Amino acid sequence: MTTTAWLIGLPVVMSPLIYLAARITVRVNKLTFMTRWLALCVLGLVWLALYFASVYPVPVGNDSFRIDEVSGLLMAIVLTVTSAATVFSFADVRGAPGEEKYYAALIMMTGSMLGLVCSVDLFNVWVWFELLTISTYSLVMFRRGRSLEAGLKYLVQSAAGSTFILFGIALFLMQTGTLSLQGIARSTTDDGMMLVTGALLITGFGVKIAIFPLHTWLPDAHSQAPSGISAVLSGIVIEVALLTLLRVLAALGSTSASWGMLLLCFGALNMLGGNLLALRQTQVKRLLAYSSIAQVGYMLLGFGIAIEAGQAAAAQGAFFHVISHGLGKVLAFLVAGALLYALSRHTLTISELSGASRRYPLISFAFSLALLSLASLPPFAGFMSKWQIFAAGFRSNDAFISVFVIFGALTSVISLAYYLPLINFMYRQEMSAGVRNGRPLPLAMAAPVIVLALAIVLLGLFPNVVSEWTSRAGETFVAWFGG
Amino acid sequence: MNISSPLEFAAGFNGLGIVLAFIAVILGGLAIIFSFDYMRGEAQQRRYYALIIVFIGAMCGLVLTDSLFWLFVFWEITAVCSYLLISFHNENPAAVAGGIRAIIVTQVGGLGLLIGILAIQGNLGTDRISDVLASTQRLPSDVLALAAFGFLIAAAAKSAQVPFHIWLPGAMEAPTPVSALIHAATMVNAGVYLLARFFPAFSAVPGWTSAVALIGLASAFLGALMALTSTDLKRALAYSTISQLGFMVYAVGIGAIFASQFHLLSHAVFKALLFLGAGAVIHATGTRDLRQLGGLRHRMPFTHLAFLIGALGLIGIPVFNGFWSKELILDQSMREGPAWASWLLLIIIGLTALYTVRIVSLVFYGSPRHERQPHDAPRAMKVVLGTLSVGTCTTWLLAVPYAALLAATLPYHQFDLDSDVLGDVIHSPATWISLAVVGSACLIWAKRKWIAGSGWEFQAAREFIASDFGFERMARLVADITQRGAERLRAVQTGQVNWNIAQILVFLIVVLAGLAIGQLP
Repeated sequence: MTTTAWLIGLPVVMSPLIYLAARITVRVNKLTFMTRWLALCVLGLVWLALYFASVYPVPVGNDSFRIDEVSGLLMAIVLTVTSAATVFSFADVRGAPGEEKYYAALIMMTGSMLGLVCSVDLFNVWVWFELLTISTYSLVMFRRGRSLEAGLKYLVQSAAGSTFILFGIALFLMQTGTLSLQGIARSTTDDGMMLVTGALLITGFGVKIAIFPLHTWLPDAHSQAPSGISAVLSGIVIEVALLTLLRVLAALGSTSASWGMLLLCFGALNMLGGNLLALRQTQVKRLLAYSSIAQVGYMLLGFGIAIEAGQAAAAQGAFFHVISHGLGKVLAFLVAGALLYALSRHTLTISELSGASRRYPLISFAFSLALLSLASLPPFAGFMSKWQIFAAGFRSNDAFISVFVIFGALTSVISLAYYLPLINFMYRQEMSAGVRNGRPLPLAMAAPVIVLALAIVLLGLFPNVVSEWTSRAGETFVAWFGG
Repeated sequence: MNISSPLEFAAGFNGLGIVLAFIAVILGGLAIIFSFDYMRGEAQQRRYYALIIVFIGAMCGLVLTDSLFWLFVFWEITAVCSYLLISFHNENPAAVAGGIRAIIVTQVGGLGLLIGILAIQGNLGTDRISDVLASTQRLPSDVLALAAFGFLIAAAAKSAQVPFHIWLPGAMEAPTPVSALIHAATMVNAGVYLLARFFPAFSAVPGWTSAVALIGLASAFLGALMALTSTDLKRALAYSTISQLGFMVYAVGIGAIFASQFHLLSHAVFKALLFLGAGAVIHATGTRDLRQLGGLRHRMPFTHLAFLIGALGLIGIPVFNGFWSKELILDQSMREGPAWASWLLLIIIGLTALYTVRIVSLVFYGSPRHERQPHDAPRAMKVVLGTLSVGTCTTWLLAVPYAALLAATLPYHQFDLDSDVLGDVIHSPATWISLAVVGSACLIWAKRKWIAGSGWEFQAAREFIASDFGFERMARLVADITQRGAERLRAVQTGQVNWNIAQILVFLIVVLAGLAIGQLP
């Protein structure tokens, strides 16, 4: 139990302390590096707590917090992503006004995600979810001048979503008389009101998950935020919201058999809409943001198959896709951020990538690997995870599901048309003006990029490194829905 | 089978795969040697050679594995390498467009392979190709049909068969050694390999063999016609590749697996020779336009001789390898296939002779139509051209051992070939008819001025052929619809918060309605 408290409590407690410590040291002797290292130390301690938590058999916890296979896996991804983003930010936001707030908010965001993934009652879900929204909002708005519009859109739409969630929770309480997500699944009667509850929750969380067409805030927020934050937003925040929604839906489980079908339809919409919208983008970060919408579609597909056909393998594939997309997308956003930094730009158009490989060979190569992985080409992680989802879909021997899988595979071909030109531009002989006058990259930016690139390649070649965790998470997931 | 664990590569050595792997390695090596001269002075050569090596490795993996999963993995890797090499000159918009088109078309086809593999794995629970061939009868017939036609689509896309052939001409923007290696001698054969490998499993699917034969025949015919009208040296050769691959696919369709694979071997050698010969010409003259070439016979005697040998192989003149394999296909067609198909095959053989003679005479004969003073091929090129010329004259000698190898290593294919394959060819009446057809085709080319003078201009037909029989327009249309649809979809992204909130509300109502409908009995 104590490790759970450490896991969730530490970042939340440390976040204001980081801010305070930074304010004091800055005022006294301009020791701004304190705040950076403090943030990293907190993450290190949480890693340690997670390690100790993993020693005990799961699930552990009480009526409010519970660490099971799914939350354990998600916590590991959260920490991986935020650690990479933190190291990257060492260089990216160095000396920016309000740097100490940045790290405080980043740690708060991490803590709220950790809290969210192990919440098993709706009160906690609501609190952590709001905390996540607020801390994310302040990070999206970090560079105030440029990201005002994006931040505002994000805030307004998140608020609208939160309202629906609150309505949903209220209805839930009215029906069942409890906020706990455990054990009420059986007491639930087949009731129209539960469907309304489900619809409200889907819509509310759908905003954060960027289900098409609730995604409209995402391209702005993900492209205007500092790149480290874009990486976290794309790489894990969406996925945490998705799993939270699914955990809550599972509590309504016996109400209606059509949750899986609904997810499949959302998945199809996201895959088509995200890929088509990404096709017409000229800015690298916007393109990556749209591609996240499409990638969430594949996760929805995987979880949808898992619920619809009771296939643990599909959920396993979807969890693997959360990992591989997390690594690939974080890497892609970090490289985009590194290039923004190197070229001293605010926006990076695709044509400005021209010749990047000649000046920045290492990160250009890493970017290429990330793009190939996101385009789900072998032998990278993104291919393996999508293969698992598709294979599970066909193993269900359900013609209807197979149609969705084929559709997903077809939209995945569209994605080649926007991922591959990026590689093409980077390997041009002629350098764009920005690249020619670019400044060298600091180690803090190159290091996470290299580590993530290695991870993508290794996970692609040895997918069984994570298969033990993903398979257990997949089985737990199916058990949520009584499969 | 557990899909979560990495699947075993499971090397499956069989005659089909081993020969293709040898082709990939030997021709790959020759293409690299050729590139020493061809790519001299080009920028970013490291990327070029690295990709070629990756490609050769992937090609070997593709043909040597006994695992469906790895088959697909290598299938995709060859496509990626092909894309990256077509777009190697990535400042040239034509190269970029050609590369994207190539990978999109082959990937759309690749979906067929993906679906087929997943359906087979899902039903049989095995990943081994040999197990699949052994236990085909355990597959439900609809799954088998799905897999069979999925594989056919994949093979057609990879081997540039109608209607997926549209990517191959655009792929000619690649450096010429790449065209010779990937788009003539190895990767495009992967489709034929796939069909031949799974022939025992799929031949019982109703309509499958006829579909394969028809696609092959159509590609052979249309490819030959397009080769006849092309004004670009490399594109003419690419169309000829489509046509020749059509022969192989047709042969698989009528069950003549050995004939198809034997022609694959011959074609790989003589077409690589032709492409590399063309590469030497392009290197020397700086143009690929047939209308600007000409009279190179005296300036480039060595290249001329090598190209001529390749051309004779392509036409199918006796003692060159193309003769034996092509006549074998014709012979088998006379026995196994429908009569009309064999007649069409004869016409195509005539067309092949016609376009080959046309290309050779436009490039090497007549009077020079260009100002440059071209030099003959440098040394590395000469070595490669010489080696391939010798190959074109001799690889047919492998026929008997090759047939024995296939019969010995492919237990599920039924080979009922005579031990004297080559003798059969000589004694077959088809051989003599086709030689007569080739002769008359050459006569038509010699008398072309007289024929043209008689008022036969074929202008409309020519334009229709040059427009790729409308396939080009269809491809553009699909790309256009996708792009325009994407553009339209951007209207969703109004950027106005009011609309966004309205979208959220509408979404809620739609979800509610959907759930309510789903709840109805």
